[in-house]
Amino acid sequence: MSKVRKKHRLVDAKKPNLVENIFPYSLPPLIRLENPVVEYIDGKPVEFDFEAVKNRPIFISDTTFRDGQQARPPYTLEQMVHIYDLLARLSGPNGVVRQTEFFLYTKNDRETLDQCRELGHTYPECTGWIRAVKGDFRLVKEAGLKETGMLTSSSDYHIFHKLKFRSRKECIDSYCEVVDAAFEAGVRPRCHLEDVTRADIEGFVLPFVDRLMEMSEQVPEELSVKIRLCDTMGFGVSYPGGELPRSIPKLIYKLNRECGVTSDRLEWHGHNDFHKVHVNGGAAWLYGCDFVNTTLFGFGERTGNPPLEGAIFEYIALKGDLCGIDTMVITELADYMRSIGLPIPDNYPFAGRAFNTTRAGIHAGGLRQYEQIYNIFDTTRLLGRPPRVAITDKSGADGVAHWINEFFGLKGDDRINKIRVHKLARWVIDQYDVEGRLTAISDQELEVKAKEFFPDYWEKYKGK
Amino acid sequence: MATVEERVKAITANKLGIDEIKLEDSFTADLGAESVDSIELVAMFEEEFGIEMDEDAALAVQTVGDAITFITKVCKEQGVEIEE
Repeated sequence: MSKVRKKHRLVDAKKPNLVENIFPYSLPPLIRLENPVVEYIDGKPVEFDFEAVKNRPIFISDTTFRDGQQARPPYTLEQMVHIYDLLARLSGPNGVVRQTEFFLYTKNDRETLDQCRELGHTYPECTGWIRAVKGDFRLVKEAGLKETGMLTSSSDYHIFHKLKFRSRKECIDSYCEVVDAAFEAGVRPRCHLEDVTRADIEGFVLPFVDRLMEMSEQVPEELSVKIRLCDTMGFGVSYPGGELPRSIPKLIYKLNRECGVTSDRLEWHGHNDFHKVHVNGGAAWLYGCDFVNTTLFGFGERTGNPPLEGAIFEYIALKGDLCGIDTMVITELADYMRSIGLPIPDNYPFAGRAFNTTRAGIHAGGLRQYEQIYNIFDTTRLLGRPPRVAITDKSGADGVAHWINEFFGLKGDDRINKIRVHKLARWVIDQYDVEGRLTAISDQELEVKAKEFFPDYWEKYKGK
Repeated sequence: MATVEERVKAITANKLGIDEIKLEDSFTADLGAESVDSIELVAMFEEEFGIEMDEDAALAVQTVGDAITFITKVCKEQGVEIEE
């Protein structure tokens, strides 16, 4: 690569440039994209229109009750109905969380589906999930669903070693029989190409999808096959220049433009085995899938799926608008999930108890001076979660002052400066230096001390 | 009445447990004051002289001599009688 040396002139300023066109604070930081984006496919440059994502009808789909439930003990009927109700509120009137899928195999599965639909929400639409077995369509039809996912594994690992087909042709014929059965039942099939990132794309996946598209031409548009690209083991990579079968750009290109699967019929389903799950979902949106399949808090098989709440903030960042999404419901969902025993790590983005809690005194100092320095966006407005400081020996007087001001809800000139918190700051330091403490100090302990050291404030703000 | 210098030195010596305090001593580098010690000292000076100091300005003071100058100035601004 040749050197492109260039001198860079300092642009002196007396006022800060906070780059607010990208970091508006009232929204998550915006993701602004520039065209053209070029990927070399089969030796030729192919352009992708990333800027179009702002106006493309992209959506989030949900599999909390299917993949999410495969990773934990079953939810009760009441729990699922409540979660569905919250998903509908989160989704908003535009149906950003467009679909969620249900098992249909047990009486409890079917009753849950019925009760969710009885809530009367337009979104998320309820879809099913079945094996690629003809008889299973009876369940879908009886449930009155318009669409169902069906397992159509696409790698030779699955075709030969799991499903024990004798040849790829036998496998495709079998899958297509089930697709035909779906058409006959008047149900739209959504073919889940399991393990696609480990499959022979040219030799199996594309011929199979070609055949599905030919079959779709024989049925009304609303029944035409949808394709879910399942990165079952998390092997997918979003980097430009990646090779098939792991390349997400190339996979989507092949299906979208060579096989003619329109974007509104393409969905990405990822797994987090290599820590790529969220970014891979975002890449799938950009390269042409309209749907990214997710679970609440990323809870799913093994390492999990794209976190729904992460996709929500990605969506807002790409669109530059809330689009009717009620982000506050994320906090409500997190509280509810914790209450029914789902472990959400404290440092888990957007939902963990301490996701916007700083422990470093120097960061607490920054927060105290100007919240935006160390808070990712207006978490109070969007999540009902003001930035916080956890008190340890590293918090310093700045951390203690921040904690006490948040605790009493003091703003602007009413805030207590750090000289006034010296007694509490001394008590904190002595906990470690004198008492030999090794753990963070809980809010409950600090509240007792706040009452002792700030009786006037306590009386005024907490006395009632 | 003791002078500002005598009162500042007495408080500093008492707080930090040091016998001899010199005007050029830095609170942190020479006298070993840690973060919380510094705000405690400011709070003690405020109480001793009956004044209120600006937090940032007070905590920016580095040496004992500078503290005496700063406190003298604040006392005058706030109409507090002192012995210089």
